[in-house]
Amino acid sequence: MNKELFDLASWAIENAKKAGAAASRVAIDRERSVEISYREHKPENIKEAAKRSLSIEIFADGRFSGQTTSDLRKKALEEFIANAVRTTRLLAEDPYRSLPDPHYYQGRSTADLQLTDPAYSGYTPEERHKTARAMEEACLEAGGDKVISVTAQAQDGENESVLLASNGFEGGQSSTFYAGVASMTAQDEGERRPNGYHYAVAIRRSEMPGPEEIGRIAARNTLDLLGAAKIKTETLPVIIRNQDVSRVLSGLLAAMYGANIQQKRSFLADKRGQKIASEVLTVIDDPLLPGGLGSRTFDNDGMAARRRIMIDKGVLNEFFVDWYYSRKLGWEPTTGGPANLLIPPGSRSVAEIMQELGRGIYITGFIGGNSNSTTGDSSIGILGKLFENGVPVQSVAEMNIAGNHLEFWHKLIEAANDPWPYSSWRTPSLVFKEVVVSGV
Amino acid sequence: MQAVSRRSFLKTSALGLASGALILDGGWLSHANGAAMDYFAAEFGISDGLCEKVLAKALARGGDFADLFFEHTISNYLILEDGKVNRAYGEVALGVGIRTVKGDQVGYGYTQELEEKSMLAAAATAATIADGTTATPPVKFSRISLADRYPLKKLYSAVPLSDKLPLVQSANDKCFALSGEIIKVNATLNDQQKRILIVTSDGVKAEDLQPNSFLAASVTAERNGRRERAGYNFGGRREFSFYSPALVDELCKEAVGRVLVLFDAVKPPAGEMPVVFGPGVTGILLHEAIGHGMEADFNRKKISTFATMIGKKVAEPFVNIVDDATNERLPGSLNVDDEGTPGQKTLLVENGILTSYLHDKISARHYRVNSTGSGRRQSYEHFVQPRMRNTYMLAGPASPEEVIGSVQKGIYIKDVSNGQVKIGEGDFAFYVSQGQMIEDGKLTAPIKDVNIMGNGPKMLANITMLANDLQMNRGGAGMCGKGGQGVPVGFGQPTCRVQSLTVGGTQA
Repeated sequence: MNKELFDLASWAIENAKKAGAAASRVAIDRERSVEISYREHKPENIKEAAKRSLSIEIFADGRFSGQTTSDLRKKALEEFIANAVRTTRLLAEDPYRSLPDPHYYQGRSTADLQLTDPAYSGYTPEERHKTARAMEEACLEAGGDKVISVTAQAQDGENESVLLASNGFEGGQSSTFYAGVASMTAQDEGERRPNGYHYAVAIRRSEMPGPEEIGRIAARNTLDLLGAAKIKTETLPVIIRNQDVSRVLSGLLAAMYGANIQQKRSFLADKRGQKIASEVLTVIDDPLLPGGLGSRTFDNDGMAARRRIMIDKGVLNEFFVDWYYSRKLGWEPTTGGPANLLIPPGSRSVAEIMQELGRGIYITGFIGGNSNSTTGDSSIGILGKLFENGVPVQSVAEMNIAGNHLEFWHKLIEAANDPWPYSSWRTPSLVFKEVVVSGV
Repeated sequence: MQAVSRRSFLKTSALGLASGALILDGGWLSHANGAAMDYFAAEFGISDGLCEKVLAKALARGGDFADLFFEHTISNYLILEDGKVNRAYGEVALGVGIRTVKGDQVGYGYTQELEEKSMLAAAATAATIADGTTATPPVKFSRISLADRYPLKKLYSAVPLSDKLPLVQSANDKCFALSGEIIKVNATLNDQQKRILIVTSDGVKAEDLQPNSFLAASVTAERNGRRERAGYNFGGRREFSFYSPALVDELCKEAVGRVLVLFDAVKPPAGEMPVVFGPGVTGILLHEAIGHGMEADFNRKKISTFATMIGKKVAEPFVNIVDDATNERLPGSLNVDDEGTPGQKTLLVENGILTSYLHDKISARHYRVNSTGSGRRQSYEHFVQPRMRNTYMLAGPASPEEVIGSVQKGIYIKDVSNGQVKIGEGDFAFYVSQGQMIEDGKLTAPIKDVNIMGNGPKMLANITMLANDLQMNRGGAGMCGKGGQGVPVGFGQPTCRVQSLTVGGTQA
């Protein structure tokens, strides 16, 4: 743990106590990052950032507030904390607010989650420029004469944080990240200029795909959007591309949060132990995944993180319940939200699945839309490709799918073999049968 | 328009739920007077001499111009849940962003320490975008005078909690009193006072105090075992006194009315059909269908579907669309933009002809025009982009009844959210949270859970009828997201008919 941050956090907790807080919890974050983007063979933007912040949660007289500042000068912090305590005392009482029972801090993993790249400090400005340039060049080349514009951005950063609570919790974490994104705009018929992109994010540079690959895939994704049309409304099988699954999955997850359950806005509140999806759907939250973008050994409450099967072969197993809502609900806490979400992949590729389905829509993007956590109703715009005889034949846009989560997930018939590695949600492409896709 | 997350502590939605971040009661941060002048000099010792030195550093390797953007923002959320205002979050943001511009290239650095050493280091980072050996000398800057579109007689931080708490509490009590079917009420009061100082190497010094706030209520109701949820909010660059008991009454009536109607709502058939937009917040249609596509960075790079349409007919002659910083107290109102250009009104479409893009300084230089005062940024951590302010369409000749009466079978849209657009294609979508079927020229069953899709240029050409009832949205929670940055924006529209849009229903 970073000693300087740890000492400042301890000092803040001490100050909160002096100012009259019964308990407090302090999080300090420090982050440095660099981003460089290229367009037309030259740097478009260069940005360097160094930031830090201190957040303190105050528990005083049975009351609660949380406050954040970027001004870490001790004199300013002293006033800030004293004011935070004074302010907290003016709010209404909340008997459910407290720091977690320290029992829940116990059993924290001591495994090395491999969240930093030892080579990070050796990453030079020249290499950053080279990476961005290589993405741009590869995208321009693969886009050919259809290219109107290409932008490529390389980003990286390192982060250190500590979390301390006045009832004994101490934790810290460091991480690094690298990201690359290339985006292209292509000339289509008339005034249509489709924009497509590709990106990757990883903790270690060695886990990143080559910049040329990011550029090439961005070009391919863009060219795939050319000639888009709206087809007639029809009931079809759909395949949702791996990296796009999170958009529909987040609508299901929204109903699994303790806050939504306790506030009576969850369509899953009374469905624990019940089958809410087809057997194909298993959802695992694995905070201890080595090298995972969401990995952690403790959550925001300081509770020891552990692997949980949230949905097991279609059966709803667990909810995301943080300490506060566990007290309000009178339930055992789990954790406030997912760390790394995994859907176990299947054995076949998207191409093989298309072959068998014959005709359907491969969804590669969403637009607009909404998902209602109270009722489960959802409606969302889609873009992608119509495939026939197993082969993509027509790109589609201005189309929509709608339904209710409680029905939709029962239509899941297969997970492909392609979990998306560049997110804390490692989802494979998912295949749904009989979905109404509305268009003309 | 998209709900924007500003790290974890400033998450907000149209329903006004907040999580994460400081509520400050009177006292230590409310010492300054309401006037915007010389705040940074008085509080943080930012002198003209210091600014000159930092600008010189930013231009040490050449470049067209450089600017400094100082910011001190105090944000507060008061949250009511389960009948009590028992949660408060807040944030203090303080820093300076330093930008060096060369052609369309930008170097950017920022620091949270307003000290000379840190500022010079950030300026050195910004300077790296230029590779010359000769420094560009900054000119002398002088303070420009600005309009006063959102005066704050009393700072939000000077309003005692004892005034704010009963206001939020009353939203709870009033919602419950309105219907026995309400089972949960959430209410939020968000206020943010943002002070900015902009100093530019091309001669401008401008200082502003930009308040923004909203009061939101969201309610969950239960009927025969079924539950529904809806919400409403009022806000803008308002004085705290705007949030009167009468306004809370109206807020609660809207929220409760909106949730109860959902029990009778049907899902409309899917497919293409005429759509009538009610007045006000439905201006999101314009924001998505044309506004984003008119932001000049997209056109400078030729990646907007509108890139070659300036001067061309895009809509019927009765269609006039503006993007305007000069409205009083709306979320997108500005005395000055974030690079020192005074707030102004820009005609996007005049009598059906596409007239002007929305420019910041970079695109204005590219097109050899004046900036339209559209350069905005989320905070000192971000660089400037051309952005919308308050976007609306001017009224037409028809009555709202005539517009609705002209549709045989279609839908009427009263409230929308979650708008999104693909700039290059012009394809847009948004979600209808409140609406009704139109059958034989009459409003019939309420509808819900519908996504609407269209294409910007096609939709513009398809506006076939306009009513005389222009309204600006009175909400304050509208945030527009672009390139990872959120800024507050306003919307407005009269009742209008679009001949055909895709309605995403569930019935094939």
